[in-house]
Amino acid sequence: MMGHQKHRILMVSDFFYPNFGGVENHIYYLSQCLLKLGHKVVVMTHAYGNRSGVRYMTSGLKVYYVPWNPFLMQCTLPTFCGTLPIVRTILIREKISLVHGHQAFSTLCHEALMHARTMGYKVVFTDHSLYGFSDMGSIHMNKVLQFTLADVSQAICVSHTSKENTVLRSGLPPEKVFVIPNAVDTAMFKPAAERLKDNQIVIVVISRLVYRKGADLLVEVIPEVCRQHHNVRFIVGGDGPKRVRLEEMREKHSLQDRVEMLGAVPHAQVRSVLISGHVFLNCSLTEAFCIAILEAASCGLLTVSTRVGGVPEVLPDDMIVLAEPDPSNLVQGINKAIIMLPKIDPQAMHLRMKSLYSWHDVAKRTERVYDCAMRCSDQSLLERLSRYLTCGAWAGKLFCLVMIIDYLFWCLVKLWQPAEEIEAAPDVTLSQQHCEETPWNFNEDGSVR
Amino acid sequence: MEIGGEENSLLMHPKWRKVAYGGMQRGFNDNHTDDSFLEDMVTNANVVQRDLVKVMQDSISISQYLCIVALVVLVWSYTLGSNINCNSLLLLDLLLLGLGFLVLLLTGEMISLNLLLHYILNITYFVTGLYALSPIYHTLTRSISSDSIWALTVLLLLVHLFLHDYTGCTVKVQGSRKNPTLRSNISLNTSIIASVLIASRLPSRHHVFAIVLFSLQVFLFAPLVTSCIKRHSFRLHTWLSVGLMLATLVLFFQLNWFLFCLLFSLLVFVTVVCPYWLIKIQKYKFEINGPWDEAKLCFDIRD
Repeated sequence: MMGHQKHRILMVSDFFYPNFGGVENHIYYLSQCLLKLGHKVVVMTHAYGNRSGVRYMTSGLKVYYVPWNPFLMQCTLPTFCGTLPIVRTILIREKISLVHGHQAFSTLCHEALMHARTMGYKVVFTDHSLYGFSDMGSIHMNKVLQFTLADVSQAICVSHTSKENTVLRSGLPPEKVFVIPNAVDTAMFKPAAERLKDNQIVIVVISRLVYRKGADLLVEVIPEVCRQHHNVRFIVGGDGPKRVRLEEMREKHSLQDRVEMLGAVPHAQVRSVLISGHVFLNCSLTEAFCIAILEAASCGLLTVSTRVGGVPEVLPDDMIVLAEPDPSNLVQGINKAIIMLPKIDPQAMHLRMKSLYSWHDVAKRTERVYDCAMRCSDQSLLERLSRYLTCGAWAGKLFCLVMIIDYLFWCLVKLWQPAEEIEAAPDVTLSQQHCEETPWNFNEDGSVR
Repeated sequence: MEIGGEENSLLMHPKWRKVAYGGMQRGFNDNHTDDSFLEDMVTNANVVQRDLVKVMQDSISISQYLCIVALVVLVWSYTLGSNINCNSLLLLDLLLLGLGFLVLLLTGEMISLNLLLHYILNITYFVTGLYALSPIYHTLTRSISSDSIWALTVLLLLVHLFLHDYTGCTVKVQGSRKNPTLRSNISLNTSIIASVLIASRLPSRHHVFAIVLFSLQVFLFAPLVTSCIKRHSFRLHTWLSVGLMLATLVLFFQLNWFLFCLLFSLLVFVTVVCPYWLIKIQKYKFEINGPWDEAKLCFDIRD
């Protein structure tokens, strides 16, 4: 068995701290746990504002903020070969053995994976999102994904629905795709010390107020629930283009005293908002996994959610009420949750979540995928080109061309700056014992602790 | 506890479940794939099977409109060549207007005297405005060469045909709930610009008035009239379209041999080749739906 082989991993994604979201969280916690398991982890992302260069985070997690500014929705401009020199330098400097890319619409991730394959590294890819097959955007995205996944060693998805989706989109054999869900930091999301009063029921919604997160559904649901139950209050956290509609709804039905709009909630304050409620409502129209549900359940809230994407797999049936994504069904779901509420013990739910999800478990499972990837046989350029050629009549040839150009450019860069001339970065080792129990926090602008 | 018991029995007889919680499932790897993989996938749920005759019949609407536009171009070129004088052009305008109203009266369900008066009043305003503006149109493009005007007109007409809404009418009918789309509005506007450009080449302002009125009548109301006929009787619509196509072809044959060939091949392409092509490529249609699709909202969003 090679189970105890130590890897040197480069995580690549456009999405990382200081941004917040499912992917950012996943990369951060996974890296922390992998560091604890004794692997070396380096993160590569693009510059955020004036945050560029090398930074260190908690437990010596090294982050390269590559000086490339995002141009649309936090993604860098696709340049095909432009990122090769810097990716190569980082790979050699940090003596990386494996590259792990995250998120299908991160251009930086696609490019880094392509360069890593050109240079003969083993590559793992994690897909965090779901895509349809009907609209133009999805069709293009799926082709790009097919290009990247044609040559990855292993792929990871966050739920079984996401795995089915990824297999369909990319044509990978299902055995190459692993399902490793997200997890939740249960130490950070603890229920309130004393139980909330039962005479009033507070329903919490925390999501970006956009179409995909079901803000329009929320606009229909809130007045109806308020009409049926006089002891229900809503707390809505989050901001977005649909906030105006929610506020209009509040005025129209004069619910100002029963619907509280908090605006954007910083991640550090999510827990304090969550513990002020009894029920968590998620109205998303599409969701690969939904970490928000985990955070709410960890705080001891009963969840009502739409039955979309990977949501039904996330929690056992007695911890979540699922409803179809239409207003009347969702109102029924909330009614059901209100009836179930007296039987819910937040502390018990929290302890149960602790046993169901842990980032350490995620890291151990990811480690096995890495071992698997390292066992994959090496392939020559010609073998890989033949695999690209099968991707489509026109696309296949285009992909081959891109790979050949990338290969030639790599040869050029090798001549221009030989690997021996690149200085290796020294490893920072931290004593591991005393940080076992401390809750993780982002070490803002921290140098090595 | 009930749940505890359930979990115990599962520990004794591990069975793979399609869930994400609870860590790695005993005895199964994370890449385990069983029969339930892709069981919720639905393929080709919304695909309509078409047959050739039906598609050809439907394509007649397109050919019909192509012919109407071709006839307008014909009238333009005859007027520019001074083959039609101003009075006969005005007579044609009146004839078309009367014919259009007649068709609306005979086929429309909700035409009342009140509505008719409303229409007549509106048209009076419109005609007066146009008459007052025609001297301006007359001198609008005096400094631009005729070649540029023709090239621009052809381009605008192509845009018009490309964006035209062939399914219904471009103007909003009184009482209809469907609003015209942006595309059909752009299409209508390009046709209006094209007619104004052509009119500005004419010798007198009476000509200008007559030709702009004629073009606007056709571009604005022909889709309305034809869709009324189509709703009234599909058979009548078909025969009328075939007659129109033949008439147009004959007229073009007299005008210009090259244009005739062009129009003829276009009509054949639209009514015969395209439907056949559509049926042929039908078998490549592959639609995938499943739990990963974004849920559709079952109500309208009122903004």
